[in-house]
Amino acid sequence: MENQRGFKTAGKSIRCKAAVCRNPGKPLLIEEIEVEPPHAWEIRIKILCTSLCHSDITFWEISTGPYAVFPRIFGHEAVGVVESVGEHVEEVEEGDMVVPVFHPNCRECRDCKSQKGNECSIFGKQVTTKMPRDATSRFKGMDGEDLHHFFHVSSFSEYTVVDVVNVVKISPDIPVDKACLLSCGVSTGIGAAWKVADIEEGSTVAIFGLGAVGLAVAEGARLRGASKIIGVDLNEEKFEIGKKFGVTDFINPTGCGEKKVSEVIKEITDGGADYCFECIGLSSLMEDAFHCTRQGWGKTVILGVEKHATPLAIDTYFLLRGRTVAGSLFGGLKPKSDIPMLAQKYINKELNLDGFITHQVSFQDINKAFDLLLQGTCIRCIIWMD
Amino acid sequence: MADGKSSSETAGKPIRCKAAICREAGEPLVIEEIMVAPPSPYEVRIRIICTSLCYSDITFWKLKVPPACFPRILGHEAVGVVESVGENVNEVAAGDVVIPVFLSECGECDDCCSKQSNLCSKFPFKLHPWMPRYESSRFTDLKGQTLYHFLFVSSFSEYTVVDVCHVVKIDPSIPPNRACLFGCCVATGVGAACKTAKVEAGSTVVIFGLGSIGLAVAKGAKLCGANRIIGVDVNPDKFEIAKKFGVTEFINSKECGDKSLSQVVKEMTGGGADYCFECVGIASLVQEAFASCRKGWGKTVVLGVDKPGAQLNISSAEVLGSGKILTGSLYGGIKAKSDIPVLLKRYTDKELVVDEFVTHEVKFEDINKAFELLVGGKCIRCVIWMDK
Repeated sequence: MENQRGFKTAGKSIRCKAAVCRNPGKPLLIEEIEVEPPHAWEIRIKILCTSLCHSDITFWEISTGPYAVFPRIFGHEAVGVVESVGEHVEEVEEGDMVVPVFHPNCRECRDCKSQKGNECSIFGKQVTTKMPRDATSRFKGMDGEDLHHFFHVSSFSEYTVVDVVNVVKISPDIPVDKACLLSCGVSTGIGAAWKVADIEEGSTVAIFGLGAVGLAVAEGARLRGASKIIGVDLNEEKFEIGKKFGVTDFINPTGCGEKKVSEVIKEITDGGADYCFECIGLSSLMEDAFHCTRQGWGKTVILGVEKHATPLAIDTYFLLRGRTVAGSLFGGLKPKSDIPMLAQKYINKELNLDGFITHQVSFQDINKAFDLLLQGTCIRCIIWMD
Repeated sequence: MADGKSSSETAGKPIRCKAAICREAGEPLVIEEIMVAPPSPYEVRIRIICTSLCYSDITFWKLKVPPACFPRILGHEAVGVVESVGENVNEVAAGDVVIPVFLSECGECDDCCSKQSNLCSKFPFKLHPWMPRYESSRFTDLKGQTLYHFLFVSSFSEYTVVDVCHVVKIDPSIPPNRACLFGCCVATGVGAACKTAKVEAGSTVVIFGLGSIGLAVAKGAKLCGANRIIGVDVNPDKFEIAKKFGVTEFINSKECGDKSLSQVVKEMTGGGADYCFECVGIASLVQEAFASCRKGWGKTVVLGVDKPGAQLNISSAEVLGSGKILTGSLYGGIKAKSDIPVLLKRYTDKELVVDEFVTHEVKFEDINKAFELLVGGKCIRCVIWMDK
């Protein structure tokens, strides 16, 4: 078929397998598709492995409204090898190891050049279901229909096409399954702890939701020397798992009796946590998170994606008393500079990523990954392409 | 009467003096003679030199339900001279010029010991009718009826008693009708810009509400080197006044036509402000301010105090995806004892000019004129001088 370098498929459509979602909430179907060559500013990537993130599930389940778009290729957390590049792409070449990222980083706009935040003002305006520059699809089903992209990545396919602003070159020294984690969830959590919150040594931290993002926040907080890391989750099994990532106290909201979770947290932290992270995506929990932060300097960081677009209600009384609310996509990190930084930390054994991978399946069993994540004991399930 | 007597003659005894009492919500204050008890341990009795009227006094003057209470001595922005001190007070003595402050700084609790907080947890801020340490009042009228304190200051009286944690000693050479402003509005606004927000040089700042707080934010933003300071108000007369405080451009929020206020701001600023300050106290305006901030790093600072229970409704998707920050502070994050002397030095060094805040001055007996002027939107700060 092709070599490691000098792919013979350059310039031509590639016929390959993809896991296509044709109906909301239904198992993906492994089908043959055609992947067009990359246009200008685009990169065609051979996916090595990918993992399932809860945000894939959130959009997979949506059956009505403008976000219910089918047929679609989901997946946005992955690692791969560059098969070919379109015109004007100079930062990567065939054979390079890359991580595709949903969060754009053009490095030329005012935001990308600023030290502050991680917006990309040119490409960050909206996430579409096609390629970002010309709004067309690179995927065709076998009957010639266009297949929709997802989060500008679409990694549940043996090959995908991604814009250069959504691609990060990484060192081949990091094992691919660990690199894959840096494509979304783990980077989001660590970035939120280090960049958005900037947790100091001795801080008290509360984390609502111990999925991959929440556990990555815990790991980031632990590495900064937080004195207490309180994990809040409905699943008791998460505590044992959480301990490995630095969680020191565990709260199961159903076990609090009459008390609200925020009251329990205020008791444990003697007045409120210095930092509180919402890693689920429910505005009622975002409000709880806000109420369990300390007056004076308490910061609430929102990382979860609210699928019902329910607004967040905040009492100004509590804001006036020195509290801050901030949110971020991708943990406030700039993908092209920060993913390689995290990869290097892993290589230097300063960052532990192994604990996040709890399951592995082959591509044909991709639907098992959905079952595992929905059941709640899976943190990350790596889906290996053949 | 206490006037003319040296403090050594009055120390330890109740003082009979004049106070402007609020006996009924929204009714003119009544100047009456009252008795002011000597200071208890950790307390300081102060002869007020002058005081100024702030909109927060008006809010609790008008309010008919708790936490409003009557009869009460309002006023919380003032400067005075220590007449006598209670036991255990060593940091000030009779004769010292002091500013009484509504926010405590005990210097011992976690918040006071942290640079990041000005919210003393030993004597927390609250709308309390009493002295902070003891549930009692130092004021009675001549019939013996208790008069309630306000914000731990109660400066609409020739004499007041304040806890030592709420007192800061200041340079006596500062003109009193400038010093009193640091008890609330100037410190709040300058603190909000420099401390809460940490406005950087070259920033674009938008200020919603050009009352004393908003104008003080403008002063602070200018000190920080902000490049554009856009003032938003419903009253177009404010623009000329605001220019003296550093405001560079003005938006009349009633003249936005079909556009929302935030749309107008975003168009003017090429995408949104670096910093937005809400200085009115209306939740829906805070929402506009949040929407007016720039994606990526825009920071919205809430300073205005809305009704109890007031809530903002912000899109969770916007919080998640915009990178914007929402925060707030009381008293601009200023610590009374640590920060007021620093701010006053900026005044004496002529770096921070505050003269423009004082647009009117009246005698104590005409205190109700100050209320009329402020309620009518006709003044910035009206200073009320006690009889000399």
